[in-house]
Amino acid sequence: MNTFMDKLENILVPIAERLNNNRYLTALRNGFMVALPLIIFGSIFVVLANLPFLDRVIGEEAYQAYRNALGPASAATLSIMGLFAIIGIGYKMVEQRGGEAIYGAVVALASFLVLTPQVVDNTSGVVPTSALSAEGMFLGIFTAFIASELYQLFVNKNLTIKMPAGVPGAVSRSFSALIPITLTLTIFLVIRIIVSFTPFETVQNLIYTIIQEPLTVLGSGLPATLIAVLLIQVFWFFGLHGQIIVNSVFDPIWYALNDQNLAASQLGEELPNIVTKQFFNTYVVGLGGSGMTFAVVIALFLVVRSKQLRELGKLGGPAGAFNVNEPIIFGLPIIMNPLVLIPWLVAPVVVTIVTYFATAVGFVPRLTGVIVPWTTPALISGYLATGNNIMGAVMQLINIGIVFVIWFPFIRLLDKQYLQSELNND
Amino acid sequence: MKRILLACSAGMSTSLLVTKMEEAAKELGEEVEIWAVAQDKAPEEMKRADVLLIGPQMRFMKKKFAVTAEEVGIPLDVIDPVSYGRIDGKAVLNKAFDLIGN
Repeated sequence: MNTFMDKLENILVPIAERLNNNRYLTALRNGFMVALPLIIFGSIFVVLANLPFLDRVIGEEAYQAYRNALGPASAATLSIMGLFAIIGIGYKMVEQRGGEAIYGAVVALASFLVLTPQVVDNTSGVVPTSALSAEGMFLGIFTAFIASELYQLFVNKNLTIKMPAGVPGAVSRSFSALIPITLTLTIFLVIRIIVSFTPFETVQNLIYTIIQEPLTVLGSGLPATLIAVLLIQVFWFFGLHGQIIVNSVFDPIWYALNDQNLAASQLGEELPNIVTKQFFNTYVVGLGGSGMTFAVVIALFLVVRSKQLRELGKLGGPAGAFNVNEPIIFGLPIIMNPLVLIPWLVAPVVVTIVTYFATAVGFVPRLTGVIVPWTTPALISGYLATGNNIMGAVMQLINIGIVFVIWFPFIRLLDKQYLQSELNND
Repeated sequence: MKRILLACSAGMSTSLLVTKMEEAAKELGEEVEIWAVAQDKAPEEMKRADVLLIGPQMRFMKKKFAVTAEEVGIPLDVIDPVSYGRIDGKAVLNKAFDLIGN
């Protein structure tokens, strides 16, 4: 058994290392982190703008005025999150290379804007905000990668204007960026012109049609979602942070899906997607952390008799309520423990399938696309993520029940073992 | 004064350890500064630390952090999973002291 475990460990650790340390994926993750405070700010105001029953309390007209007053908060942040992600990614890409990061941010942003349509319904001088959100997400990511790499390449090739020694640092720095930025943006302008002669007309349209749409359709389906859920569980079983590793690959897809729902919910249209970033925050991580261990914490309080497990419940319970569950994962332990492998893998898969179909048939509403921080306790997060709908909380409660039932026999077994060894030691 | 830096994915779970380690240090009468950060902040924070301890779930970061650790001349290691699960402040503190001592 041990050599088998060692072998798997030898395969999984390098994969985790690769994914987590890949320069592009690191910049992507950290770039999204830059956008996160803004996304959460916008989400708070979407929640406030949609408070339940408020229209009945203050009247329809006042309610509309209230919503219009709060609207810009999310329109300026959540709805154009792609923009902030681009700035973040460009910044982090150049920072990694030891260059002047702020130029990475502006060159990424400018390159993206060069590629972006600047006409809406024959009105020129405008940029459609949709291009800065979901639709532009993938193009934004690729552009930020390529633009910052090109910029840094030209800087490294010493294609900069050298200033005499007496020139102040700030002045010479502004010139040092001149040629690399000019070359980079020229390349993007040429790309834009070339694509304008193809049937796609805009680069936005090209990337959206051939990359983003197929990937998001794939990513929003149940099979891909279950693969992601299972991978997270398998990595964690070996004590590796599965969520972080899987996020590196799936986040752009999940955020794009999330944004589609947000855009639809703000227009009052039907929400297109079941699986989104928030689906994972609410129904996968949001039930006590990776592996949905809130139900395990409850079991530790209710059914165990061994001292060690009861102690673990007290130790891991409070953090578990906020979806931080390393004490449970390492303390139970879940890692490398064949006894709990079955519930560990099965429960999240069952919960994901149940939630998916419950959403599909309309038992629980689709998620509106507001981002609820993953540390928000279960029930509250479900309520907020479904657009202040109590059914979101009900779904989470049902899910906690499912996890509890699946885990129950295994917790009893584990408890018996601990109890036995405690008796032997006394 | 010994300065101990902990790092994990978001600095959440390692922050659970911080309080426990501070308590353990108080009992030993040792003066310490202990803080937890997210993985992307770790290389920067290492500059003002005496030792870096990594959460076991992020142990695949060790190789990358080792490069910076060598540059700033501090030891680093992965926290043992059992102490991590028990939030055993004393054990982790002793490990940090051992690493600094060597």
